[in-house]
Amino acid sequence: MRQVVCKSDELKPGQMIMTTLGRIPVVVTRAPDGSLSAVANACLHLGAPLGKGRLCGTTEADEPAQYRYVREGEILKCPWHGFEYDTRTGCLLAEPERKLRTFQVSVEGDEVVVHT
Amino acid sequence: MAIQEGLSTGVRETPREKLNIIDTDIHERVMLHDLAPRLPNPFQRYIKESGWVLERHMPYTQPTAGGLDRLDSKLPDGRPGGADIEWVKRQVLDECEVEYGILTGWLYPSMMRAWFEFATALATAVNDYQMENWLAKDDRLYGSIHIAAQDVPSAVREIERCADHPKMVQVMLPIEIHEWGDPKYHPIYEACQRHGLAVGFHHTENTPTCMGIQGFPRYFITWHSLVPQMFMAQVASLIFNGVPDKFPDLKIIMVEGGFTYVPHLIWKFDQQYKMLRHEVPWVKRLPSRILREQFRFATQPIEELTTKEFLQIVDQMGSDEMICFSTDYPHWDFDSPFQALPPGLPEDLRRKIFSENARAIYPKLPRKK
Repeated sequence: MRQVVCKSDELKPGQMIMTTLGRIPVVVTRAPDGSLSAVANACLHLGAPLGKGRLCGTTEADEPAQYRYVREGEILKCPWHGFEYDTRTGCLLAEPERKLRTFQVSVEGDEVVVHT
Repeated sequence: MAIQEGLSTGVRETPREKLNIIDTDIHERVMLHDLAPRLPNPFQRYIKESGWVLERHMPYTQPTAGGLDRLDSKLPDGRPGGADIEWVKRQVLDECEVEYGILTGWLYPSMMRAWFEFATALATAVNDYQMENWLAKDDRLYGSIHIAAQDVPSAVREIERCADHPKMVQVMLPIEIHEWGDPKYHPIYEACQRHGLAVGFHHTENTPTCMGIQGFPRYFITWHSLVPQMFMAQVASLIFNGVPDKFPDLKIIMVEGGFTYVPHLIWKFDQQYKMLRHEVPWVKRLPSRILREQFRFATQPIEELTTKEFLQIVDQMGSDEMICFSTDYPHWDFDSPFQALPPGLPEDLRRKIFSENARAIYPKLPRKK
């Protein structure tokens, strides 16, 4: 299955766009380095549309009380309860063994296309 | 009354299987007049001449037959329960068929809200007294290191001083109003992990609950019913401040708060972690996993559960390795190993609760006889 999402210049770094692939809701994101990702557009928790959340970074730490803000534009945060997903793998950051379905995404000509 | 007369409860009526019981909460009671000679001045004089006693904030007595203690544990000479090793041996070690008992004390220097230098000196005196007068006197007794956590460097020095004692198995801390997960206390946990010592948390008569002026509600029954709240608060503090993640070999046992609140913590913590993990990125595992891997919960004061209810709680905890038996001798809400747990529990589960789960966090205990 294949679906044209938008013109490539309509999805800028740090932005995301919702689409469907057949009957599957998908959200396509573009990271600050320009790379594209596509994951199922439904939170594993209560099914909220992740494309209405935030494309942001997250925190890491090696020690308690020592924050490091990282991966700006690569983390998808659910608009409802804030579940965080890695857009590159679909993994839930709090429980990485649980993951969103991911899809192939590419630029063909001047179009962004998602595939199964 | 002869000393031998104070023997009454916990006696089995019919022979049952040997449980190799490890009692994770026996309160030996050291008297201040016995500690005083071990203290340097001015602290010795503060006790002998100025009448210092351990501060007490609880606005009630314990309104029971014998106050804090089982009435039949009080000594004929007026001393409180737990003050005489012969009585402890008879009433809990012998009558309850305890293979090994963990002494948890009653005077916790870490609960003092002033005179921290005195608290440090008291910790040393309590530990030395315990080693000489309890641990050396009965092979079944194992001990807890008391510290004055208000002064973390001194607390760590006291842990270092006592850690190699072959019968000191944990460091005791009181459930208190401050967060024990605070990074300023982490050197204490580092020392415990390095020496293979568990950390035991136990509430005191000064432990506030969330209700009432300064944490004490209008009635003792309310306070006593709500004590598990403060255990829950400290478990949350330890986990979300990253203590178990920073010290992955550390074992933590919550003593005298029971265990039936644990399923709620598992569900609530995991739910919150999925939503708010980014606030505490030093927490690397689901809290349920942390709880199962690094926490233990002593049974007493166990609610009156049916066998079905008990097994449901264990099932909800998702592990049969988290619960450790305790009597809380000599206190008034003592649990007998022969009657406190509901009948008909699976043999494997009974063996874990009565013995193996505690043995797993106290590596100094001898192998099973």
